[in-house]
Amino acid sequence: MNTKTIPVGQDILSPAKQAAADLRADFTRRGIFIVNIVSSPGAGKTSLLEATARHWGGQHKMSVLVGDLATDRDAQRLSPLAPTVQLTTGGACHLEMPLIKKGLEQLGPIETEFLFIENIGNLVCPASHDLGEHLRVVVLSTTEGDDKPGKYPKMFRTSQVLVITKTDLLPYVPFSVDSAVADAQLIQPDIQSIAVCARSGEGIAEWCEMLEAARDRMVASRDDHAAVH
Amino acid sequence: MHEASLVRTLLDKVATLLKEHQGEAVEEVCIELGPLSGVEPLLVQSAFEMLAPQYSLSDAKLIIHEIPLEAKCRDCGALFEIKNFRFRCELCESSAVQVVRGDEFRLLNITIRQAVDNEASA
Ligand SMILES: Nc1nc2c(ncn2[C@@H]2O[C@H](COP(=O)(O)OP(=O)(O)O)[C@@H](O)[C@H]2O)c(=O)[nH]1
Ligand SMILES: [Mg+2]
Ligand SMILES: [Zn+2]
Repeated sequence: MNTKTIPVGQDILSPAKQAAADLRADFTRRGIFIVNIVSSPGAGKTSLLEATARHWGGQHKMSVLVGDLATDRDAQRLSPLAPTVQLTTGGACHLEMPLIKKGLEQLGPIETEFLFIENIGNLVCPASHDLGEHLRVVVLSTTEGDDKPGKYPKMFRTSQVLVITKTDLLPYVPFSVDSAVADAQLIQPDIQSIAVCARSGEGIAEWCEMLEAARDRMVASRDDHAAVH
Repeated sequence: MHEASLVRTLLDKVATLLKEHQGEAVEEVCIELGPLSGVEPLLVQSAFEMLAPQYSLSDAKLIIHEIPLEAKCRDCGALFEIKNFRFRCELCESSAVQVVRGDEFRLLNITIRQAVDNEASA
């Protein structure tokens, strides 16, 4: 009997990251822009998606995979506005690639420009899981406090956009949009920020324009790439 | 709490390696965790102890190396440690910094017991 040390040196998530990268490449080819929306529970992800669908009103096609621990309440809210599949994790605190793949099968052959993934309400675990998205958006509501970015560094570090929601409540809560953005920028200097109110529609046009521009950039760089090869 | 799901992924990998190398048992599993790994080392340790028997790896001991968060400055090339999640270059204050270490859940190596030295004789 002898012992032997086998060197590995591998991120245990590397197979999952590869699956995510493959999905992203496939959707880039098809011109579908994937947005992974993360936040704490109740920050306003579903409301933001409802407002987005209303704003576009069919002008841009969107589909949604919405994750929750249980119930299909969010899918019921979104289905009248866009093709939606509810993913229930039965307790798991975040979405992973196999569930996304299953959701995509259920969604069927979609003709869409945007695929939104509403993640499980949780600012910790979803940060570690690439779901093949082109853009990760972290949603922070004005009732959660402007000191949250620093407390959840991985989530803010891995996001490209910060959406501050429920701006209609600003007069009633001690929340500074500037402080929240500054705190997030310490962790992610490149983060883009937008303040919105899903109830009044304030900021929704700007949010939609940001998404359209980001998708245009994806399509342009894909075509540039194709031209070179 | 996703430590359990990550530890399952780890144990899967370890069990596969043990099989590939035709070992009898795993003695040690060495991993590296940094401040942006997204997991809590204590929770990883207890999840490992709880789940290892399900993978027939009851003998395996988990060794966690806690490492600092390290980054490289894209402007001046400096390598430095990021403290308090302040992503600025230590030398030039640039914000164009790239994390190079401390943001993964990394399996470093495993130590296995073998009946005979299969690979040397192969
Ligand atoms: N006052 C206010 N409430 C909002 C706004 N957006 C969402 N909410 C409320 O916040 C709660 C949680 O919203 P929801 O979209 O379900 O959050 P999710 O859990 O992140 O999907 C609901 O009661 C919404 O009506 C907003 O802009 N202003
Ligand atoms: Mg929701
Ligand atoms: Zn520098």
